[in-house]
Amino acid sequence: MTVLDPPQSTARRWLGHVARHRVAATLGFLVLFPLIVPYEALAANILVLGLYALGFNLLFGYTGLLSFGHAAFLGSGAYGCGIALVHFGVGWFGAILIGTALATLVAAVIGFLAIRTRGIYFAMVTLALSMCVYYAFYQMEPLTGGENGLRGVNLQTIGVFGFQLSFLNPTVKYYVLLAFVGVAIWLFSRLLASPFGAVLEAVRENENRARACGYDVAATKLVAFVISGAFCGLAGALNALHLSIVPIETLHYTTSGQVVMMALLGGMGTFFGPFVGAATFLLLQDVLSVLTQHWQLYVGIVFILFVLFFPRGIWGSLLDRFGPR
Amino acid sequence: MIQKAMPTSRRTILKTLGGAAAVAAAGPSLFNVARAQAAPIKIGFPVPLTGPFGTEANDQVKAAQIAVKQFNDAGGFEGRMAELLVRDDRLNPGEAATRTLELIEKDKVNFLVGSLSAAVQLSINNVAKERGVIFNSISQSDAINEAKDWSKYTFHEALNPHITAGAVGRYAFSKFGKKVAFLTADYAYGHEMVRGFKRAGEGMGIEVLADVRHPIGASDYSAFLPRIQALKPDVLVLCNFGRDQVVSIKQATEFGLKRTTKLVAPVLLFTARKAGGDSFEGVVGGSSYYWRLEDKVASAKAFNDAFRAANGGAVPSDYGALGYAGVRSVLAAVAAARSTDTDRVIEAMRALKYDWYKGPQYYRGCDHQSVQSVLILESKHKDMKNADDVFSIAAVEEPDEAKLRTCAEMGHKA
Repeated sequence: MTVLDPPQSTARRWLGHVARHRVAATLGFLVLFPLIVPYEALAANILVLGLYALGFNLLFGYTGLLSFGHAAFLGSGAYGCGIALVHFGVGWFGAILIGTALATLVAAVIGFLAIRTRGIYFAMVTLALSMCVYYAFYQMEPLTGGENGLRGVNLQTIGVFGFQLSFLNPTVKYYVLLAFVGVAIWLFSRLLASPFGAVLEAVRENENRARACGYDVAATKLVAFVISGAFCGLAGALNALHLSIVPIETLHYTTSGQVVMMALLGGMGTFFGPFVGAATFLLLQDVLSVLTQHWQLYVGIVFILFVLFFPRGIWGSLLDRFGPR
Repeated sequence: MIQKAMPTSRRTILKTLGGAAAVAAAGPSLFNVARAQAAPIKIGFPVPLTGPFGTEANDQVKAAQIAVKQFNDAGGFEGRMAELLVRDDRLNPGEAATRTLELIEKDKVNFLVGSLSAAVQLSINNVAKERGVIFNSISQSDAINEAKDWSKYTFHEALNPHITAGAVGRYAFSKFGKKVAFLTADYAYGHEMVRGFKRAGEGMGIEVLADVRHPIGASDYSAFLPRIQALKPDVLVLCNFGRDQVVSIKQATEFGLKRTTKLVAPVLLFTARKAGGDSFEGVVGGSSYYWRLEDKVASAKAFNDAFRAANGGAVPSDYGALGYAGVRSVLAAVAAARSTDTDRVIEAMRALKYDWYKGPQYYRGCDHQSVQSVLILESKHKDMKNADDVFSIAAVEEPDEAKLRTCAEMGHKA
């Protein structure tokens, strides 16, 4: 592999390393990421929404279930964290746990109702149930702020192992968020490498064969759904701390659509794809909307081009072209 | 190649390096002084350039640029010019928060002015107040001045639902009758407006016949309108906005409601009226500004002329004009404070008594709400001076602190 390969294999060898040490490679990239992005707040957005897309990808890319309701998990994670902090005075770490737990619970309920359907029906049921969550939070105005959104998720400083860090400093904030995202990425990788991860892919490839092999397909799907919701919930909780507000739009179905776009753009079913997708999508939006008011047109054109010519997404196509065989 | 290019001795190189170091050492202080004088005064301006309020937002930018230009033409502040950093917030509070972080952390703006939605301004306000940056909001909201959201860095240039609905209610109930029905879009803006109308009507002995709620974005009002028509109210108040307002007014007209009932809207938008056309005839509503104010108010004339000159004869819209006032207030405070230091500019803004475009105004001490006049407009279709002349000014409610909710009611101490 090292000596006899043709010259073009340098790229292949590199991608081989990246694929083998995917956690280290992803983290290494994310540590340096703020240096190449126009500003830290955008880097933090990409980080958090990348995690959201990662969680979504567990269901979409690895299990083969297209959900149109993942905004419900991002949103309940964000509101859970925000409400715990604003109304109940919980510390920031506890608030993140509460947000993630709430999203997991919501995912368990929605998953229980939705996994009995398949294909387009699954997408429709998740969409409908997530809109129920949207209206539930919308109506709980005293807690959630309703239409106006939840404000005041304010952290001036956070205590970590006895150190007081200024959370208003954008660089500090990014790396605190990255600590959580890093742990999540590591967990995610462990999960995929486990026998359970293999069952997920078996279900995606052929549900009947997986069932014939003796796996409980329904239970596997439900567990995947709940875990996916938990990752998205963590992303939501981090987003609430990052922006210091929770807009009601977080729960809207357009947010569910956004994550589908990110996963497709980056490459569904690839480990690093969701981050590539989130970065491409948000960077394009950000840069183009400063240059022109017709940015939506250009983002749309780019998306169409990718779907037409690179159906496996940016990272997926790179792996196809240069990746380890 | 290297050897050929090396006639320079080691000594010369050392000398050159030493000289360069000396210049570099002396440089920063000189350079800093030069920079300090030339450093622009940056104003971040997040508005929804794309989305349903794009027309209004573009108007706000045009008007704000006039305020910046006037400031710079007058020499700026000690040679420092003002600069407007426009960002598209896409009418999304999350995007607005990100853009505000960008403006504060990367662009290091001195001040923030902007927003065109209740939720977006609350989001910008939360980010700005935590970082101690002045934010002058130019869009309607009751919540932003309440103690829970407000901070000393928060200023509110626009009207709010309470004053607007109050002024329209006081005018309409005294003039058209006391039997009132509401048709309300079921969200925060609609609720706040209804609350304002009811408060205004309390002392006047109005009778509320019905308060009908419809979902936002409804396209068919035939389920609601006959019910309202059967009650024969004197006044029907439409507490909805934008397209909902246009559609519901159109259908109310088709149902013949106008024969028995006066249609009233809390806010009549210049742009919506121009888009809505004939069905608006006779509808009464409130506004912060209408360009025909220039017939009576000198500052309105001056502002309109500046806007016309810069934009090929077009007149400014109501929300557009707020962009001008919002930016001009901040820049005037810089000039008055002779500083861009945040605390000193806050003091100067609190002390401002200004008349930028619509008559006298000032910021109330306890919550920094701009106390200002409210225009009562009636949509017209005859005697129009030109295509832009779509309203007549029926009345002007002069600025009066007593018409606002009290400081105590908003949760402030003073």
